Amino acid sequence: MLLFGARRPMGSRLQTLRELYASFIGENSPEARGRHLLRAWLSPIQLAQFDEHRYFDVVGCDTAKRYRINYGTAANVHELDGAGTPRVGWCFAPSARLVPGDVMLAQKIALETNENAVLAVANEFPPRMPFNR
Amino acid sequence: MPTQIVLDHSGDTRHEFDAADLEALAKAEQRFKKLTGKGFTAATRMGPGEVAVVRVFAPTAQETLFYPRLVGG
Repeated sequence: MLLFGARRPMGSRLQTLRELYASFIGENSPEARGRHLLRAWLSPIQLAQFDEHRYFDVVGCDTAKRYRINYGTAANVHELDGAGTPRVGWCFAPSARLVPGDVMLAQKIALETNENAVLAVANEFPPRMPFNR
Repeated sequence: MPTQIVLDHSGDTRHEFDAADLEALAKAEQRFKKLTGKGFTAATRMGPGEVAVVRVFAPTAQETLFYPRLVGG
């Protein structure tokens, strides 16, 4: 009805179809699926952080240190000091090529369940400044 | 229905199975062993945002997520 109502000119219908297609593809892209899955596995606080800043914080299960996982697939994890300032960066990711949401979810699970083991394989890097707090 | 979610280049691939169907259950257990044998980590949700790694196949887990081995970048 909406798309093919008699009063809609052909160009307008095509434009609407294009927009719907783009929207469908956008929402079903690997990146969008990864973000959707990540959001479902975050705590309410992490989800609010992610929606506002595109990062979220996790607490390491072994040391209780706080880490910030930024949107991305590499060099996106920072260990925070007590003031929330990045102290050091940790680079680790799944061995297969995954979309950002999936990488961030794997990093969250690893830090929350097996912190020492994952840091043992991670590489340190100096935190970039300025950094979003 | 219990679902196994495997992270991959497409975002994820989902495998649903009926826990009351012995054949489907065996297939799901076989998938669990195959993936963890290849180095995938299996995790389930315990509550909102709360996760746990699982080492053995849990037929009653509603969602089991698998991600590839983590390596230093």
